[in-house]
Amino acid sequence: MSFGRWLGIYGPSYLEGLAQTGLIALVSAACAIAWGGALLLARLAGGRAGARIVDGYVQVFRNTPVLLWIYLIYFAFPPIGLTWPAVVCGGLALMLQNGAYISEIFRGSFKAIELIQFDAARSLGLSWWATFRKIVLPQVLVHSLPALGNQVILLLKDTSLLSAISVAELTMNAKLLTEQTGAAYEAFVVVAILYLVLVVIVELGIRWARHMVSWRPPHHAL
Amino acid sequence: MLVLLLKGALATLMLAIVGICGGTALGVGLAGLSFARIRPLRLLYRLYVFVTRGTPVLVLALLVFYGLPAMNFALGPYVAGSIVLVIYGSAFFAEVFRGGVLAIPTAQLESGRSLGLPPGAFFRKIIAPIAFRYALPPYVNVCVMMVKASSVLSIISVWELTLAAREIIERTLQVFTVLGTAALLYFLICFGVDRLGRRAERHLMHRGFMGERA
Amino acid sequence: MIDIRDLRKRFPNGSEVLRGIDLVIGDGEIVALIGRSGSGKTTLLRCINFLEEYEQGEIRLDGATLWYRNEAHGRRVRMREREIRVLRQQMGIVFQQYNLFPHMTALENVCLGPLEARARPQAEVHELAHGLLARVGLGDKTGSYPYQLSGGEQQRVAIARALAMRPKVLLLDEITSALDPELVGEVLEVIRGLVAERMMMVIVTHELSFAREVAHRVAYLSQGRIVEIGPPSEVFDRPQDPTLKDFLRRVR
Repeated sequence: MSFGRWLGIYGPSYLEGLAQTGLIALVSAACAIAWGGALLLARLAGGRAGARIVDGYVQVFRNTPVLLWIYLIYFAFPPIGLTWPAVVCGGLALMLQNGAYISEIFRGSFKAIELIQFDAARSLGLSWWATFRKIVLPQVLVHSLPALGNQVILLLKDTSLLSAISVAELTMNAKLLTEQTGAAYEAFVVVAILYLVLVVIVELGIRWARHMVSWRPPHHAL
Repeated sequence: MLVLLLKGALATLMLAIVGICGGTALGVGLAGLSFARIRPLRLLYRLYVFVTRGTPVLVLALLVFYGLPAMNFALGPYVAGSIVLVIYGSAFFAEVFRGGVLAIPTAQLESGRSLGLPPGAFFRKIIAPIAFRYALPPYVNVCVMMVKASSVLSIISVWELTLAAREIIERTLQVFTVLGTAALLYFLICFGVDRLGRRAERHLMHRGFMGERA
Repeated sequence: MIDIRDLRKRFPNGSEVLRGIDLVIGDGEIVALIGRSGSGKTTLLRCINFLEEYEQGEIRLDGATLWYRNEAHGRRVRMREREIRVLRQQMGIVFQQYNLFPHMTALENVCLGPLEARARPQAEVHELAHGLLARVGLGDKTGSYPYQLSGGEQQRVAIARALAMRPKVLLLDEITSALDPELVGEVLEVIRGLVAERMMMVIVTHELSFAREVAHRVAYLSQGRIVEIGPPSEVFDRPQDPTLKDFLRRVR
């Protein structure tokens, strides 16, 4: 059948897969950012031991493929009694992996804040928590935006791996379609295009976020 | 069981090496393209990099694995897998090399021009060695990325460490041990690549290169 | 001899950076270019060895027109890359920083030009390079890499490298501006040595005292024009132009 007709029939299921992927990516990204922030805090507040542990954590996830963790959580949790749906298992793996990278991004931004500012905050009598909330956090977030955007795109692409544990998202969609219709590469070409669309959306989002921030009082290194 | 995993690790290493060599070769050519005088060629580069980096490896792999037989190209899984890694890597390598060239301080380029060096010597003695040194840290990062990307090939039945682990799990159900060992093996490979890279950096990048090792 | 006639250049954004420069530099003469940032002094220097292109005007070296050919009907055509390269070999340039190739020793840096651009035999080039490095006071550091050298030493190697091509003119673009104060002297000392050899030089500098000492003439640029030019004693002690007076007052 012609490509147009084929698209008409299967289009809606593609859009569903697209929405699923988008949702999974969004939630995982939010969790990963929160987790990355928590790791940074652990590093800052935990002294040398804390820093070592976080370093170890980051090294483990930098040097192992995320697919392995997806399998580990998916296969290992049921036997120990945690029967979470596949999407949660996968999402957790994505969060743990990307959280490691994000904590490194935050760490880089944190280092970029000049030490003088901490002295200034102390001499103003700011508590540690207030300093963190008002001085550290805004600057770290703003400074990290481009790198965070990149990481979110990587996370987005990794959601495709969830198809390996049968999570209903875009790639899974395409696999099923291929098996049903035998139209192999059309299915995946469309899927590739849809992923590219999502990537563009994320990049535009980051650009918008950076633009929004430049209306506030100037921060460093924008 | 361990033997099987070690064999898998070896397969992973081989795939990664093929991907890195092929990706580097293709990447150099692409980086050259990115500096072409003709604008359409530069746009072609931008498009290639955007599409290749924006598509998940898995989708790329599925495209090659399912799509090529449909066009009457029957390829074994290893060949298909290698092609996927080479293409996927080439975009990242190209950007790394391009970044290396762009990092060369202008004064050094202008010094070379002012000495009146012929283009061959200019490239061989100035651009290539200096760009290479700036590109080295991110290059090593991409190499590690390639090792990790090879695990995705397990989904298109390329036999390597991840697939080996899955096969063992299906037989023995010892999830933690098997995956834990596999993770350790991946860690050793990636960490090893990273260490090699750092040694090369120390040897080649005398202070005065502003390279950041993440 | 360098003969610059009615040199005009615009930046891509439309602003005029050189508005008709006329300058003649004789053999063995040293001309210092001074002025505020943005006055065009660096751009003028870079036009001389064609690191910047220009829309109008002519630059001649010993009578031969450089960089563009004059065609019929007053049109002009950019010379071929090969010709440009050969012509550039007659000029040496030293920049403010990042001159040296970091992956080569001082000796290799100095040898590169004659070896590759002039294809001289290696033994001859090595001897030449050793001699030049000794002359700039770095005879014992020929095997050092740039990162092992101080800023002043790096600049001296850069000068030696430029001299290795036996240029007709040396162009120096604020070569001491990026140096720690205590390192400036050793570089200026090398330049003094070249003065004695009657090397034609065009020096863009902020070191007014040095310009006074070595320059035969000083040209003050403002807004793309040479506003005042003359021997240092006149330009520095009896400035005519109000902007020049202002400039000197601020710099002192």
